[in-house]
Amino acid sequence: MATTTLEPRAGTYRRSWVLDWLTTVDHKKIGILYIANSFLFFFAAGILALVIRTELAVPGMQFLDQATYNQAFTMHGTIMLFLFIIPALSGFGNYIVPLQLGAPDMAFPRINALSFWLLPLGGILIFSGYLFGGAAAEGWTGYSPLTSDQYSPGVGTDLWIIGLTLVGMASILGAVNFIATIFKMRAPGMTLFRMPIFVWTVLVTAVLILLATPVLAAGLIALFIDRNYGGSFFDPSVGGNPVLWQHIFWFFGHPEVYIVILPAMGVVSEILPVFSRKPLFGYRAFVFATIAIGLLSFSVWAHHMFTTGSVFLPFFSFMTALIAIPTGIKMFNWLATLWRGKLMLTTPMLFALGFLSMFLIGGISGVMLASPPVDFHVQDTYFVVAHLHYVFFGGSVFGVFAATYYWFPKMFGRKLNEPLGKIHFWIHFIGFNLAFFPMHQLGLDGMPRRISDYSPDAGWNLLNLVSTVGAFMIAVSIVPLLINVIATFINGEPAGDDPWEGNTLEWATTSPPPPHNFDRLPPIHSERPLFFLTHGHGHAAARPADLEENDEDDVERRGGAV
Amino acid sequence: MQRTVARSRRRSVLRAGAPLLLIGLLGGCLLPPEPVTEVGEDVFNLYVIVLILAGIVFVGVEGFILYAIVRYRRKPGDETLPEQIHGNTAVEVIWTLIPTVIVLILFGFSMATLGDVEARSENPGVTVQVDGFQWNWTFRYEDGPVVQAQGGEPPVLTVPVGEPVRLVLNSLDVNHSFYVPQFLIKRDLIDLGENGRDNELEFTITEAGTYAGQCAEFCGERHADMVFVVEAMDRAAYDEYIAALASGETPPATGGGDCATTIEIKANNTQFDIDSFDVPADTDFCITFENQENMPHNVAIYEGDEAIFTGEFLNEAGEITYNVPALPAGEYRFNCDAHSQAMVGDVTVTQ
Repeated sequence: MATTTLEPRAGTYRRSWVLDWLTTVDHKKIGILYIANSFLFFFAAGILALVIRTELAVPGMQFLDQATYNQAFTMHGTIMLFLFIIPALSGFGNYIVPLQLGAPDMAFPRINALSFWLLPLGGILIFSGYLFGGAAAEGWTGYSPLTSDQYSPGVGTDLWIIGLTLVGMASILGAVNFIATIFKMRAPGMTLFRMPIFVWTVLVTAVLILLATPVLAAGLIALFIDRNYGGSFFDPSVGGNPVLWQHIFWFFGHPEVYIVILPAMGVVSEILPVFSRKPLFGYRAFVFATIAIGLLSFSVWAHHMFTTGSVFLPFFSFMTALIAIPTGIKMFNWLATLWRGKLMLTTPMLFALGFLSMFLIGGISGVMLASPPVDFHVQDTYFVVAHLHYVFFGGSVFGVFAATYYWFPKMFGRKLNEPLGKIHFWIHFIGFNLAFFPMHQLGLDGMPRRISDYSPDAGWNLLNLVSTVGAFMIAVSIVPLLINVIATFINGEPAGDDPWEGNTLEWATTSPPPPHNFDRLPPIHSERPLFFLTHGHGHAAARPADLEENDEDDVERRGGAV
Repeated sequence: MQRTVARSRRRSVLRAGAPLLLIGLLGGCLLPPEPVTEVGEDVFNLYVIVLILAGIVFVGVEGFILYAIVRYRRKPGDETLPEQIHGNTAVEVIWTLIPTVIVLILFGFSMATLGDVEARSENPGVTVQVDGFQWNWTFRYEDGPVVQAQGGEPPVLTVPVGEPVRLVLNSLDVNHSFYVPQFLIKRDLIDLGENGRDNELEFTITEAGTYAGQCAEFCGERHADMVFVVEAMDRAAYDEYIAALASGETPPATGGGDCATTIEIKANNTQFDIDSFDVPADTDFCITFENQENMPHNVAIYEGDEAIFTGEFLNEAGEITYNVPALPAGEYRFNCDAHSQAMVGDVTVTQ
């Protein structure tokens, strides 16, 4: 394979700082762009969350009307999932995967840039509905026939469709790039079973994206045709079927849950071993469990549709319950990694432990929902809202914060301040549980999701108020993070190459790495090349002389490495 | 009889699980409402089993995480490495089996209960077609009577206690979902066109009473307003009610009773037309509230900050009659909960 080596052309001419970032094809800069862009959308969608929680704090409509409320939760869900969590984890994937593989860049740097730049474009289109008579207001799931031109005539819904299609395309291009990079760009000695777990989870995620996201894109295009050109995919009056939309959406939507959670599991599986000073327990079992989750994720979509009366309940219930097995294996592997370790409770470790304890709750409530009779009661109530936030927020977003604290020193050469990080964690952790745990009870009591108001006599007043207080605590917890990032850029503690005594190759280069990533690579005999470089196989200190020159021949061999 | 057995079974399950529930489940009891249908009892029992399994897993895993944090925390200055354990096939096989067993148990119980939930009687006591539409409900009894929402009040589905009630769930536009929390069940209303089969829901209510329900599937702008009430009564009262409905008479008032005193209040331009009214003490009275503009308004009565009575919102122009329970003598305030500053007045209750 003719691998392009990206020689820095420093000194030949000078580009402005802005132009440099706008035109970069360096996976590290693109990764940082991804993450920065994701956090901007996170703040926007977070403000919408506060708007929603403020309206629900007490019964009676206070400061929104119902249409505005519906737009708020639709935008909140869409933006959080498609423009925050997925791209944030993609951003860490972009930055870290080539480094962990010992590669100089992604396989297709220009496609990489394209797949990033589609994101802000798509996001702006989705939001721009607010400028044209109102954003989409049908929920992030966009159920037909509510999304038809008859019931939602506004242009906001069309913009939502177009924006989401672009974001989906960005995802697909990114997935192709990750798969090519992981299969073709590994350093000599980096066999598949020596790849870091994070790379494995990104690989499985990329395969899921490649199989699932085109289905969503097709559904969105069909919906667009229905709305604008008189199509009849989902219109029952002319032979279409509104339930078809649900099948299409969830055939994408359930793998999407794993697209969102698997890379976060990968992040946690990097952090727990480093701060326990032990290898990940059961590396191979973990890899196979990840693949099993990926496979199963395509056979469970209709568990979102138990109450439609249109699906075969036992099959989808059984397949859904089965996912608990590989997920359980992972949980046990993480716990066994802690067992007899020497735990260092740094901020990334706190967020990783937070992930374990919160994702567990989301996993448990997920298994509860797999039981159709239980689902009949709590489907479309706040119980489901609680469940999905424990998975997406308690799981994925804790993973994003863990990754932020863990890899920030590599990206910028400075460590984030630990005390401020811990303040962030604790306010965040408590606020999260205040905001979302009461929702389990609200749902069991029968409070439906997506309602802008509720009766003061329904008995939901106190728990809603607690939840709103929690939401504002989460918002407050972002303040120490912002202070931390700014203070660290101004006067942060220099990180050095390997501040955490990491296991994987990204710590073998400088912080931040040079444009070509590595001047030299250590020998790779396991999934923890850096650990063995530091401690040796018999834990004896190894000398830096063991480092191999990363010469031109290596680049050739890397292309053929299996 | 069957119910008593189910009750006692539930009690014994609860007793066995009680310590776990106490230890593990913070923030309230995490139980659904007390069920009022036969199927609801089954779902409740299943839920308790699921919750106990969930509680065991929760306590075990969270407990281990806390234990590990305390027990295995690195001592300051300790630079040595712990033993490098890469895995252990035997324990990995065991902990593959643990979740397998748990989910198989769960699946078995779920399927057993699902059979009960989905069971259909050959000859239901009452069959009602439920029409859901943006944003209200119509109940069409098989013998002809039709119930619709009137005067901003939620429509009332009146059914007999102790016999199977079958609902045929028919959407006139977008998707909706018929949900009564105390029945512990919901089912979607989906318009599948001419050849589609409507969903059905069947339940047997065990206790007479009034049960609030509302649409659970997001259905557009005023989804939150799509509420209804199920009124369960004994067969004789039900027959009387249906006969009255069929003959076009006004159905017997449900609750509230007659109004000796009726206050009329109108709202327009975010103002009430009156700023005070007097009513006699210890007597139920009525408020006829007319909303003359397309803004959400209601009338609520407060003593200090405490809501004594909260009238249902009229989100657009319309009229509603509130039945207000008797108040002791004293000074109260009334206002619109959406505009409590602009729309406010005094209530004087005199002996």
